[in-house]
Amino acid sequence: MTSPTDTSGTQPSDTHAAVSARVPLWRDVVVLKWVTQVFLLVVVLGAMWFLASQAGDNLRARNINTEFDFIERPVDIQLGEGIDTHPDTGGRALWTGMVNTLRLSLAGIIFATALGVVVGLARLSDNWLVRQLGSLWVETLRNIPLLVQMVFYFSILTTLPRVGLDTGPINGWLHISNKGISMPRVFIADGFYQWLVVVLIGAAVGRYVHRRRSRIHDETGADTSPVLWALGTVAAFGVVGLFVHPAFSWLGGVFGAVAGVLDALPLVVPQILLCGVALGVTATWILRFLAAHRSARGHLSLTDDDWFRVLFAAAASLAVVYLMVRWTGLSSWILNSGRDLFEVIEAKFDVDGAARPFDAMRPDIVQKGKFPNYGTNGLTMTLGFAAVFFAVVFYTSAFIGENVRGGILAVPKGQTEAALAVGLTRGQVLRRVVLPQAFRVILPPTGNQYLNLTKNTSLAVAVGFSEIVQVGTTVFNQTGRTLPVVAIWMLFYLSCSLTISVIVNWFNVRMKLVER
Amino acid sequence: MTENPTEANPLDPVADAPADAPTGAARDLSGARDVIVCEDVSKWYGDFQALDRVSATIREQEVVVVLGPSGSGKSTWIRCINRLEIHQEGRIVVDDVELTNDLRNIEKVRSEVGMVFQQFNLFPHLTILDNVTLAPIWVRKKPRAEAEEQAMALLERVGIPEQAAKYPGQLSGGQQQRVAIARALAMEPRIMLFDEPTSALDPEMIKEVLDVMKTLAHSGMTMMVVTHEMGFAKEVADRLIFMEGGQIVEQNTPEAFFSNPTEERTKLFLSQIL
Amino acid sequence: MSELSSTTGNLEVPYTPPPATPHLAPREWVRANLFSTPFNSVLTVMSALILATIGRGLLSFLFNPIRQWDATATNLRLLMTQAYPEEQYLRVWVCTAVILILTGLSLAVWRAGSHVPVTKVGRNLLATGAVVALMTLLAPFSASATVQWLVAAAVVAGAGETLRRGVGMRASASGAGGSDESGDQVATISTLTLIAIALGGLVASLWVVPYGHHSYLMDRTPRVLAEPGTVAMTTKLPWTIMLLIVVAATFLGRSMRDRLPTNATRATLLVAWLLAPPTLLYLVLRDPSFDMGHVLGTDLPIFGAYAIGGGLLLSWLTRPTTGEIGRIVAAVVLVVGFCTFLTPMRMIVRIDMLMLASFALAAPTFAGGPRARRRYVTGWLGVLGVSSWLITAINTPSTVDVPGDFFIGGLSLTFIVAVFTIVVSFPLGILLALARTSTMPIFRLLATWFIEFVRGVPLITILIFFSIMVPLFLPRGMELGEVAAVVIGYALFSSAYLAENVRGGLQSVTRGQHEAAEAVGMTTGQKTVFIVLPQALRVSIPPLVGHCIGVFKETSLLAIIGLFDVLYIARVVMPNQTEFMGSTRENVLFVSLIYWIFAYQMSKASMRLERRTGLGER
Repeated sequence: MTSPTDTSGTQPSDTHAAVSARVPLWRDVVVLKWVTQVFLLVVVLGAMWFLASQAGDNLRARNINTEFDFIERPVDIQLGEGIDTHPDTGGRALWTGMVNTLRLSLAGIIFATALGVVVGLARLSDNWLVRQLGSLWVETLRNIPLLVQMVFYFSILTTLPRVGLDTGPINGWLHISNKGISMPRVFIADGFYQWLVVVLIGAAVGRYVHRRRSRIHDETGADTSPVLWALGTVAAFGVVGLFVHPAFSWLGGVFGAVAGVLDALPLVVPQILLCGVALGVTATWILRFLAAHRSARGHLSLTDDDWFRVLFAAAASLAVVYLMVRWTGLSSWILNSGRDLFEVIEAKFDVDGAARPFDAMRPDIVQKGKFPNYGTNGLTMTLGFAAVFFAVVFYTSAFIGENVRGGILAVPKGQTEAALAVGLTRGQVLRRVVLPQAFRVILPPTGNQYLNLTKNTSLAVAVGFSEIVQVGTTVFNQTGRTLPVVAIWMLFYLSCSLTISVIVNWFNVRMKLVER
Repeated sequence: MTENPTEANPLDPVADAPADAPTGAARDLSGARDVIVCEDVSKWYGDFQALDRVSATIREQEVVVVLGPSGSGKSTWIRCINRLEIHQEGRIVVDDVELTNDLRNIEKVRSEVGMVFQQFNLFPHLTILDNVTLAPIWVRKKPRAEAEEQAMALLERVGIPEQAAKYPGQLSGGQQQRVAIARALAMEPRIMLFDEPTSALDPEMIKEVLDVMKTLAHSGMTMMVVTHEMGFAKEVADRLIFMEGGQIVEQNTPEAFFSNPTEERTKLFLSQIL
Repeated sequence: MSELSSTTGNLEVPYTPPPATPHLAPREWVRANLFSTPFNSVLTVMSALILATIGRGLLSFLFNPIRQWDATATNLRLLMTQAYPEEQYLRVWVCTAVILILTGLSLAVWRAGSHVPVTKVGRNLLATGAVVALMTLLAPFSASATVQWLVAAAVVAGAGETLRRGVGMRASASGAGGSDESGDQVATISTLTLIAIALGGLVASLWVVPYGHHSYLMDRTPRVLAEPGTVAMTTKLPWTIMLLIVVAATFLGRSMRDRLPTNATRATLLVAWLLAPPTLLYLVLRDPSFDMGHVLGTDLPIFGAYAIGGGLLLSWLTRPTTGEIGRIVAAVVLVVGFCTFLTPMRMIVRIDMLMLASFALAAPTFAGGPRARRRYVTGWLGVLGVSSWLITAINTPSTVDVPGDFFIGGLSLTFIVAVFTIVVSFPLGILLALARTSTMPIFRLLATWFIEFVRGVPLITILIFFSIMVPLFLPRGMELGEVAAVVIGYALFSSAYLAENVRGGLQSVTRGQHEAAEAVGMTTGQKTVFIVLPQALRVSIPPLVGHCIGVFKETSLLAIIGLFDVLYIARVVMPNQTEFMGSTRENVLFVSLIYWIFAYQMSKASMRLERRTGLGER
């Protein structure tokens, strides 16, 4: 800082006496701030290092292994249900558990949303009895722990009648028994992927139709219902696709060729590519960031925070580069999995021309007192699945119902009155004014409930449903690799949470844009 | 605007001329000490330059009113003097203490300079009395009894001793602002800064706040006031500073300023508001 | 009213105002609320059918003769405290009594409860009677049982009607002359009195009604005793005493409230509540045989050294004139504290050193005159005393001997884990929230990563991790019980969610508040302690209470990792008793009821609190 010569007429020498001395380090705010932070960082890192070294010692002393080798090693595990009930390796077993978790979560989210909306609307109903029923539902279910509910439903389900050839409410269509709930199912058959191509083309065409109909509406004011038209187009393509899908079997060759190219690529290519992308993205970001903080005269004003961000971004990209160069396994893994992916897709297209996209089956009891395994016959909910499913759906529906109710109440009454005053009908008021506003309020907490639901499916371990925590427990009991299994769990749930929050945030942002 | 700001021009005509000899000043302050010295203070928000080489000196017991259209940098400047905003270039010296990153200086300046905000910013979870005594007890380390006695005296002075046990939410805007003044005065500041103290008030409450401020000015407090109240400016100010676009355009005594503005931009401004 | 609500439409309260009900004749009310449109009529019929089905299903489940309610009755003690030795049971009752005394005092001092009109009580009783009668008709009772239940319903309804009529008439008679002012003269009754009456009735019924006498007879061949008659003396006598104690405590609190300064009383009670969990837990679990030589020779001198040295240091640090040197000294103490913590020394030395460091760091914030300094040093001595005593006590062998890993289980374990989790996670959560909203990037980054990581994984994985892995992370020679490990894991988990709740509050504190605090010269610490946190915490009370309910409910996960909480006992232990094979459904239903009662009451209380504070601010 320069000490310019005095500008004002009078020269108050005492004013300037205290000035130009340097700030002592222990009083400089910036220094203090950074010393504190670095100290904390050191403490945290030190504590982590200390714990890790203790753990290392202890693990060695007890001869416990923490390697991930069990993923490739054969295990002797039998799972209750899933895509593979007798997995060959630990990795395959965990994968089955993940698929079960995802299946359960997705079904739970869909049904909990539907039920939650009903409950929320019921609590707002004009009808006194319906309102009371809604309150009863919410106040009972959300105040009993999910696990207790789950265990209770499970204990009820286990006392259902034994399964037999002619038991069940509707013989051959619906069986409810102490082995689970079984019903017919429609499933994907070999021709599905070819049919999917047709539908994707239909979606593209539908998008075009939607845009076109909207334009006509904008130009002429005629009621063109673009959404209906678009959906109709997609549906039409879907129906037609059922018959013409074999025409797309040649696509398999294309995917096969891509797989071949990926197989032939040398390791350096993905390394260079990824390093380039990492560096390029970071450099662009930093340049743009600096440009945004630069005044027209080139004055750069950065706070500590901004510096930290720049440094952090640079460090992160360098770390990526280092990883890519040092650890060739990563790039070969990327190449291999890319190749495998395309080979899998190629195989999906390599089917008999006459294969149908869908098939259907009824539940069929092949053996006395026992349902066949999942997927080979009708759609069977095992007891564990049913207990977790009902518990999670009921429990979450109470919370979603409260969100829906709160969201609708949050729309000011004046909005409805104003909309009615300009002559909209009740339905239009709901559709065009109340719901769009309520949806914005409802979405964020409901997204949170989806996250909770996904995490809550982990309680299924208590009723023996083979989701990832239950499978993981079995795996580490058998192989002794507790730490790696816990790491895989956390990674899996973190990625689920991240995916859901990304989707919800995307909707949130869209909502906000729509608002303007 | 186009020249390099790091080469501060010591002979900037705007900063130089008028401050020292207020021709038509009601009081003679020529022997007084400089308590606030700003030299070429500049500040940017990203690309936007909020303050452009602002230089001014304020003397002990002087009452300076800062005028200007909104967005002209008045509030930014006054907040820089309390280091609620950090200036990026130039120097600010308050009561012989330069504002730098030095913790001790910042603490010292803040306890020497009182500030009154546009939005009052009373602490809603504390009673009026607690609002006023909080800083004397914990910053000045006064015994509670003494602090309360002083607070009651101050509340008496701003005219609302009977409200001491209430909470800010129960008071009118004018009363809240008077409490805010009492809260600032409780630290026995040498300088008081007012950042548009009446802008958030209903018209009928403006007078009660301005009356308190006038009394304060007559008692010899050094004051720097950002306001749109021209009547107050005419009656109380020793000097007016007119800002626009982050620069000081003109400074003069109230009489000279209103009757005979020298700058075009000042004339335009006055024609719009009067 | 309607005009008002339309102008302030966005402040609309979701609570439908009651006046609509009494003005309509029953028939009109039914038409307006149930059969206004054909669609509504269909809905009404359907809901009635659903309600009837649920009610009938539940009742036929509950009153089915094959239900094993004996299992619950016999195992009540197991469900509450697991295998706590019978001869030591007095300790449990003393703990309960202490908690009840504190509850009673707090209820009075904080003026809990409200006054409800007697007519409303009457209406509710009437409705209860009607519901009971309806249920009786739905239930598959024998004829005599039906008659008995109907008579009971009629008695309840009759009492309600008398209250409603009698008091209502008097009110309307006196209110006829006074027009609108009649609201003031409506006879009201305190909710506390109502609860006391209800509990009194319940306890009295223990003496009168032949619920049956159930217990395990621990003879040479353990067998179940289940005979008709009133409840065992070991149950009814203590509960009667407990009721008397809580009522007495409430009256005592009322007289205290009028005589003593409110703030001091409240502060004392809060400290008592804070000290209660560790002290009581200790009382229940341990009967230490202190090694007096060791205590006098080692622990007392260490305590003395810290008390004197720390006291002097803090009294110097809180002097307003100390300035920056104080901060440097405090930082040095912190570094020394960390170094000592890593060296193999007595635990008491290490923990006290860290505590001293945190007190030293906070000292400038509370610096002031002699009185403030004295208070700060006293606070240090208090904290030091309590923690030293606890550390000494925990390291002393106990004489209470009970089977199992942990001395007490069942519902007690649930409460212990919940309370300790909340107590531990509270400061942690506040610190995390402050770090996450801090202007310091590294603090913010660490806090954000921790919070987002914890919120992204399910609780059960964390509990499994801590129950299995914590022993592996500890230095050799240091041990931690499984319950303690689980509480630590649970507290870390809970603190991340708590931090997000507090962060919401912190963000609601406007920028102007920060600036005003800075403008009067407060340091960052003072600004946070005196201005920001009080406002932020007040705003986040409702979500915090919700969080506490969540913590309480999710203690049920302890059952999965094999701790003997109430759910585990109900689900695993009891159905395996030879007498009560396959009683899971009954037991779990009972456990649900327990959880429901507590969670529902807590959520109702939080709603009342929210309404009260909401009104107080306006």
